[in-house]
Formats: sequence, C-alpha cells, structure tokens
Amino acid sequence: MAEIADRAAGLAGPGLFRQFDRLGDKWPAFAAVIGIVAAWQFVVWAFAVPTYMAPGPVDVINAFRQESVTLWNNFWPTLFEALLGFVFGNLVAILLAVWFVHSTTAERAFYPIAVFINTIPIIAVAPILVLIFGNGLAPKIIIAALICFFPTLVNMVRGLKAVSPATLDLMRVLSATRSEIFWKVRIQSSLPFLFAALKIASTTCVIGAIVAEWIGSSFGLGALIIEATYNFRSPLLYATVFTAALLAVAMFSLVSFAETRLIRWKAADVH
Amino acid sequence: MAATALAKAPAMPVPSSETATGAVSVHGVDVVFGEGDQAVTALSNVSVTIPDGALVTMIGPSGCGKSTLLRAIADLVPATAGAITVLGRSPEAARRERNFSFVFQDATLLPWRSAIDNVRLPLEVGGGGTAPADPQALLELVGLRGREKALPAEMSGGMRQRVAIARALVTRPKILLMDEPFGALDEITRDKLNEELLRIWQETGTTIMFVTHSIPEAAFLGQHVLVLAAHPGRVKEFMRVDLPYPRRLAVRDTLEFVQITARLRQLLEEC
Repeated sequence: MAEIADRAAGLAGPGLFRQFDRLGDKWPAFAAVIGIVAAWQFVVWAFAVPTYMAPGPVDVINAFRQESVTLWNNFWPTLFEALLGFVFGNLVAILLAVWFVHSTTAERAFYPIAVFINTIPIIAVAPILVLIFGNGLAPKIIIAALICFFPTLVNMVRGLKAVSPATLDLMRVLSATRSEIFWKVRIQSSLPFLFAALKIASTTCVIGAIVAEWIGSSFGLGALIIEATYNFRSPLLYATVFTAALLAVAMFSLVSFAETRLIRWKAADVH
Repeated sequence: MAATALAKAPAMPVPSSETATGAVSVHGVDVVFGEGDQAVTALSNVSVTIPDGALVTMIGPSGCGKSTLLRAIADLVPATAGAITVLGRSPEAARRERNFSFVFQDATLLPWRSAIDNVRLPLEVGGGGTAPADPQALLELVGLRGREKALPAEMSGGMRQRVAIARALVTRPKILLMDEPFGALDEITRDKLNEELLRIWQETGTTIMFVTHSIPEAAFLGQHVLVLAAHPGRVKEFMRVDLPYPRRLAVRDTLEFVQITARLRQLLEEC
C-alpha cells in the first residue's frame, strides 16, 4: 500500500491539481480494480485454493518478478507477429477496398470470397498454414493478418462509399476528376470508418498471433501459455495472459492516439 | 461604335452576343427521367431567358421541376430535348470554364476542412479557376470574419450556408445557381441571409437564379419570379417584381409587396 501511495505522489508532482482532477474522473475504475484484486486474493486465501488451480494475485506478481526474462523473451516474437500481421492485413484490406470502390466487377467477384474466408474459424486455418509455411514466423503473421483483414475491408468499403450524393454533385459542378474526388473526398471521409476497424484489428491481431503460436510453436506468448498450462505453472500462465492483454491494450491505445491526431472532425454516422 | 449601322438594320435581336441571349437561355427544354412505362416528365417545353445580371427566383408546387431546371442548367441532369445555353455556351462548356457556381440546400461542406479551406476547395480541383477571389475577403463578405479556422461541426446551419456561398463566389462566377439554399434554416436566419444575398448581388453584379418554395422569399429577392406549374413541369408565368432595390425586410409590410405575394399565391393555386 505504501508503495502505491508513493507512486501516486510521484505522479502528482507539479501538476498536482490537474492530476487530482483526472484521478477524480477515474477513481471508480481504480477502486473497482483494487476491489476485484482484493476479492480474488481473499477467495484464494479463504478457501485455500491450490496454486496450480487458481493462483492468487500475490503469486502472479511473484511470477512476473521471477519469470521476467522468460516473459520478455517470448513477448518480442508475439509483438513482432502481431504488428506485422496488423500492417499487412490492413494494408491488403485497404487496397482491396479501394479496388472494389473503383470496379464493381472486382467487388462482385471477390467480396463473396472475402466473406467465405471470414467464415472459416481462424483456429481451423492455423494448422493448415503451419503445414504450408512451417514453424517459423510466417504462419503467425499470416494468421494475425487474416484476423485483421475482414473488418477493415468491410469498413473501408463503407467509408469510401460514405460520400453524400450532394457532395458528388458539388464535385461535378467543380469539374473535379475521379482522382481528385478520391483523394480530396473519399479518402478523408473513410478515415473514421477505417479507424473504427483498426481499433478492432489492434486487439484481434494479438489474438491471431497467440492462436497461431498454439500450434506447435516453440516461442511466443502463445507457446508459453501452452507450456505453462501443461506443466501446471499457473502463476506463469496468468502472468503470460496479463502480458498478452497489456500488449493488446498498448496496440489499442496507439491506434486511438493516432486517430485523435489524424481526425479532428466528427463523422455523423460511423459505428 | 457601329451605332448607325445597327440603327439601320431591321429591328431584329442579334442572337450571337451574350446580352441578346441573356445570361441563361432555355429553349423548348424537356427533361424526362426513366424510359418506357416508367418515364416521368419532369419538365415539358420550358423556355425562358434570364437577363444578364438579373436576380430571378423560381417557385412552384412540388413536382414542378424547379430544381430539375436549375440542375439542367448546371449540367447535373441532361436535357432530353431542346437547348440550354449558358453565356452562349453549352452547360458542359460553361461548367468547365467555371462560368457558374451552385449552392445546394445542404451546405455540403467537407467536414474535415475549416471554413477557409472549404472556400478554397474550388481552386484545388477541376483545374482551379482563373483569377480567383480572395477566400479571406469572401468570408468577410458573408460575415464570417474571425471564423476562418472553424470546422463545419462547430458552426450553425446559417454559418455553414454562408461558407457555402463564399465557396460559390471564390471562382468569381458570372452566374450563381441556388437550389433552396435557405430552405433548411429558421425564419430569422433566413431573413438575415436574404438581405445579405441582395447586398452580395448588388456588390458583385452576379446573375442569380434562386429556387425557393417560399412565396415571400421569392417576392422579396426576385427582380423576376419564374412561376412553374407541375405535372408536367412547365412555365406558368415570368413575372416582374416592381420593387426598388436596395430592399429591406420592412418592404414586406408594404401594400405593394402584399399585392405581389397575393398575385403569386393566386398563380400557384391555378397550377
């Protein structure tokens, strides 16, 4: 407790009152988290739950300390796979959406295939890709990319088409060319839709990478989850899960930050 | 000048010069939407000449095609039969040369652009314009000094429409086509913008065609009122409004004004 108080004081520093204001908004969330962690520790202690079944928070914190090197070493491959999957999956989705908007034939030909690919459970695709691409990084990146791909494709197509007929009339009166309409209007109006999808992708790409690592991988947070489970190292398992969650939260925050910097206007009907 | 030569010539109008054909000349125009059984005749044999520098308001019951006529002049819908000339050219040529601007009922501002950047839009697309007006000065002309950086979401409906008018004027058009530009505004804002439009018209000398569904607005603004009848859309009457400019809102309380609106109401009832 003393440690927490010290850190809070350190955070406050010169902008003390502003920090207090911010804490004022967020204290219910902090209180809830502290309450849940306390309740968790209490249940584990009161019912004498064995550690391998469900470790208490203190066990998990200890695992973080003792296994920090293992966690760190397995964190990097997962981050790398998730990031590259995020970039490739979204890039392909965006380019395909641009193509669909310019060619109705392309949309009619490939949209159903995209829907079909999306209906295959990602966990079923993983073994197939491991068989094809082996045990390296490639299948993990592809699965992380696949899981990002579809929501971005759908949203980007919608965003590029979300230009009102009146705006298109205006551009026609101004004798704007197709490429001018694309760059000055369509791309801009698609951004809020794109970021709605990127926020989803920022967390699902981590899931994709971890699921891919479950299939006979020797590295990454996913492999660590499997290993810790089979060896009943439950505190390590929990620590790994928290690390994966932190990675997803970090990715999400990064995308949200980019969104606030890039889009200063509010779109009317994005969801 | 060849005044003597003209005086000797027979009393026939010379159709080749701009002034003789007016700013806009519509001759025997039909506009039909759809084909076969589904065909809807929006305009039937419409002929009208808009004098250079005039302010003509257009009014009629819904379905009379007043917006369609404006859109046909603006090259947004093709005329099925007949001929339209804008400053002696085809509507398409006039559009490419930026001879006219269009103001829509919805301001159609790009929501990610500030007021001044929205005013600049016509200069950035379709080859820009020759000898553009100063966007800053135009924002001052429409009463938005100091709001250059405001985004559309931060502006009221009236302010957005002011920006749309400034945007329409930035290419120094000879003709301003306005399709119920104040239709969505409250009455107080509309009154104010009506007065300001008259001021802008007198300052710029632009020919204005103004579609409205408000009898007082048509009578208050118009030098002439073009009354259209519906089903199919056709010219009912091209009426001159004999009220001197500059007109103030108080003119609407005069007997002359009331007689004009009564006459318009009577014409519309006959449609």
